[in-house]
Amino acid sequence: MKGRGPNKGGARHHENNRIYAHPLPLTFSDPSSNRTRPILGLLGLSRSQVINPHCEGYYDASTRSVWVVNQRDSEILWRRGFFGKGNLSRSEPSWFVRQVKDRQIRRVGSNASKMTSEELREKRRADRKQFKLDRAAAIAKVAAEAETIFETEGRVVVPALFGPQIPSGATWKPKTDESEPATDGNSDETEAIVKNTPDIEEALEDMEHLQLTLQEAFFLTWNFDCITILNPDTDEPLSLKDIWTSFQQVFLAPSTSISLTPVLEFDNPFLVHYAAYHHYRSLGWVVKTGLKFCVDYLLYKRGPVFTHAEFAIVVCPVYEDPQDQESSATNIQNASPFTWSWLSTINRANSQVMKTLVLAYVTIPAQCRLSKEILNSPACFAHYSVREVIVRRFIPARMRD
Amino acid sequence: MLELHPSYPALASIAERYPAHRGSLFQTYNDLLLAQQWREVEVIDLGDCRRGALQGKRPKTATDADALLHVVPCSLAESISLDWIQNAFKSLDNPQSLYLAVVSDDSSIVYYKLSSGIVKPSI
Repeated sequence: MKGRGPNKGGARHHENNRIYAHPLPLTFSDPSSNRTRPILGLLGLSRSQVINPHCEGYYDASTRSVWVVNQRDSEILWRRGFFGKGNLSRSEPSWFVRQVKDRQIRRVGSNASKMTSEELREKRRADRKQFKLDRAAAIAKVAAEAETIFETEGRVVVPALFGPQIPSGATWKPKTDESEPATDGNSDETEAIVKNTPDIEEALEDMEHLQLTLQEAFFLTWNFDCITILNPDTDEPLSLKDIWTSFQQVFLAPSTSISLTPVLEFDNPFLVHYAAYHHYRSLGWVVKTGLKFCVDYLLYKRGPVFTHAEFAIVVCPVYEDPQDQESSATNIQNASPFTWSWLSTINRANSQVMKTLVLAYVTIPAQCRLSKEILNSPACFAHYSVREVIVRRFIPARMRD
Repeated sequence: MLELHPSYPALASIAERYPAHRGSLFQTYNDLLLAQQWREVEVIDLGDCRRGALQGKRPKTATDADALLHVVPCSLAESISLDWIQNAFKSLDNPQSLYLAVVSDDSSIVYYKLSSGIVKPSI
């Protein structure tokens, strides 16, 4: 069972531990030898240095994200902390690799290399579909047999829905893969075709980039200074001040009056979501978006490559002063009391996929207590707090222990 | 930044008419054309919904490859009413179903199939 190819078992686990060894883009180097290091350590000294990869990204206001187009930077940001997502892929940017493989299959008819996660997903779906068809056919067969027994012998047999004749998740095996490389006879033909038709497909350009959400980009630039965010029109780096104001401005309603400085608010969605993002990231979780599960964020213990997310977070902003909510121009989501049906739906959807639903209440500070001046710098986050409430469905009849 | 992308020219006129939604239109267009590999992808002006929509066909190898499908992009920040959905159906000449593409900031897209009327679940 172990080690049946690059996608299976122990080999992949070791490979993943090697590739995804660093939890953050910054790494450390220590020029001291193994003998001097403990001696220096005893004296409270260390010669270790921080290595900053200095990545670059472009800010795009229309998609409210930062694009990392450089391949070296995308790889670093994904492999060291799982930041970002390939905009044409499921997780890490793999569009170019998939296109190359598709062309290889079209030309030669075989695909021997390691499968991308998208290909694994398609295979898994195809297998599941086949399993369902096989099971339905077996059930129909058993039912038909029961019918004939009744007609011929008059004996009533209740057709089983499971049992030795009906495949179940544990017993069903997919048919062996039939996409073998072409036999000798065919390969001569395909070679001839390849030689005769000139390569009319144009050179393939990589159309994909790694897309970082504004929270991820701000986290990387403010805390570690490991990414420089550039203005796409001028190619000039944006200062932290510019980044701070633009990231909030993109969420504000377009104002009719032309003002040089945007009016910053405590309930700007960027601030509220960043408070939650920073909270979980600083506790060591890998935080990704939870669009597929109707939630705001998913928490992974080490990363999507290792295990499924255990927790699904919904950010519920709470105004310290209810007056602020009434006078607010921003209609931030989930700030009003939710209906039980909403909660029930989201909880059900997440229980099905074995995730625990967590409601993260982010407190928005009151305007009567704090001046809006503090919004001019990220120091304002000291006034936002995050509290979690875990939701689990309680079934009295079953949960007696 | 998205104006610099090679696929922008196909969207340019509609994106400029409805700048508020050009981000979701751009991301959905790229996903359908490049990632899902749909064929005959075209942009339609959906004036009543104040945005552009997309139509196209699934790849040749997919089931139901010849059906013309309609996709209306929207972003997570919006709230959508039944009226909005009705308008979308009307502007597209009342197709049997349309796909709502919900686009997130990290470029994840979730497609919801909305059908006009009650649909029996497939077996």
